[in-house]
Amino acid sequence: MHEYLNDPIDVTVDFIGNKVRPKTVCWDNRVYKMKKVNLVHPTNEEGKSIFYFSVSDKANFMKLRLDTKNLEWRLVELYTDG
Amino acid sequence: MSKIILHVDFNSFFASVEQQANPFLRGKAIAITGKRGLKDMKHSIVATASVEAKRLGVKTPMPISEARRICPELILLHGDMRKYSEITKRLLSALKKNSDAVEQFSTDEAFADITSTAQDYFGATIVAQIIRNEIAKSCGKHCTVSIGVGPNKTIAKLASNSVKPNGLTIVQPQDVKAFLDSQPLGDVCGIGKATEKHLENLGISSFGTLRKANKQLLLNEFKTIAGSWLYDIARGISDDHVSEIVEDPKSIGHSYTFPHDLDSDVEIQTNLLALSDRVAYRLRRDGFSAGSISIFVRYSDFSANHAQLQTKEMVQDGLIIYKNAWAMIDKIRDTNKSIRLIGVSTSNLTKSDAPMSLFQKDKKMQRTLKAHDCIAVKFGQESISRASTMNTSFKERASGWHYDHEI
Repeated sequence: MHEYLNDPIDVTVDFIGNKVRPKTVCWDNRVYKMKKVNLVHPTNEEGKSIFYFSVSDKANFMKLRLDTKNLEWRLVELYTDG
Repeated sequence: MSKIILHVDFNSFFASVEQQANPFLRGKAIAITGKRGLKDMKHSIVATASVEAKRLGVKTPMPISEARRICPELILLHGDMRKYSEITKRLLSALKKNSDAVEQFSTDEAFADITSTAQDYFGATIVAQIIRNEIAKSCGKHCTVSIGVGPNKTIAKLASNSVKPNGLTIVQPQDVKAFLDSQPLGDVCGIGKATEKHLENLGISSFGTLRKANKQLLLNEFKTIAGSWLYDIARGISDDHVSEIVEDPKSIGHSYTFPHDLDSDVEIQTNLLALSDRVAYRLRRDGFSAGSISIFVRYSDFSANHAQLQTKEMVQDGLIIYKNAWAMIDKIRDTNKSIRLIGVSTSNLTKSDAPMSLFQKDKKMQRTLKAHDCIAVKFGQESISRASTMNTSFKERASGWHYDHEI
């Protein structure tokens, strides 16, 4: 199942050196522990610095959007295996 | 000392990036569709297919309907141009670290002059491996590249194309002729289908037969520049200058294939105005004004019309471009057919601002455009538009050398 979303989420992160690593994602009253950060890409949207994190656990891929201006996290893409 | 040129080409670029980002797509047949979403795929094509999809017969550019017929399990994804442009930047960065000069050739390939870094072809093999490792580290190991090394750009590109995916092909100067003889003539960058057909009609179907061809015959058949290039490339001689200088464009334009065919004048006009505004913004931002405007219209049956006119004055204003463009479209348009694509282009570019008008009304418009451009630079082009074009929206694409959001 592949969905494009724009849902606000809570994320806990690790700071490793100068890098941010999403650790858990709380979405839809469930907590997902992320196993891997597969790709991080920055971009600029309407003058704001945005970071996208492509992360996954054993069964789900999530694309997370971090708005660095208001530190808001959103789940923008979800792919569930099977 | 002859130069050592390296060419890097991502394998199934967009699809590899998606497989890097999402591990559940790895090993699967996936395709990145054009700019449209998955809901309206009437006009969509396969922009990139994964290695797995290619093995099952999916090609680019293939209509989505055909790709799905060939490969029902094909997973279709939106293209994410901002993600791909970041990977392009990382590719160029890896090359710049390990070479004397880098020339971007498209969004997923580039040349690097590694003459002084590599010293010789043994060193070139090491530099190529370093670059490959650097790309894997910065982009992810699923973003694989094919690398070719040779004495000039044409040979290096042909070498990288010869082994895919994940190839490394080194062609030393003494091996160039043997390498060329092992490659199909049509695989070389610069010999398109029309040239290949023309050569075939002359009895030339391989590099061996091209080498035997009389130079005068090639000059007569293909004109001086192309004929001379064909004569040289048969002998492995080609351009070895990796240029970092981005030359001024000869034209600035924007074309767009719409998600649905356009029928009404209003729909065509608003989209044409939005396209004209985009072109005008790029003209002003890059400090050009244009002396010619051309339009291109493709209909739903794939027939097309185009027209061009010289403007009375140098232009930088989207509204003036639009008025001229609409006058041309209105004149040449076949009203019995729906429009699938519109292109607006400006040429005869001069590196200068449009002359300051003497009239108060025009001066006011010029000030408005300056304010518009300040907002667009700071907040993005999408952040400000004319009220009449608010219902238009152009999805971001990658075309050739550029990503829409970067131009």
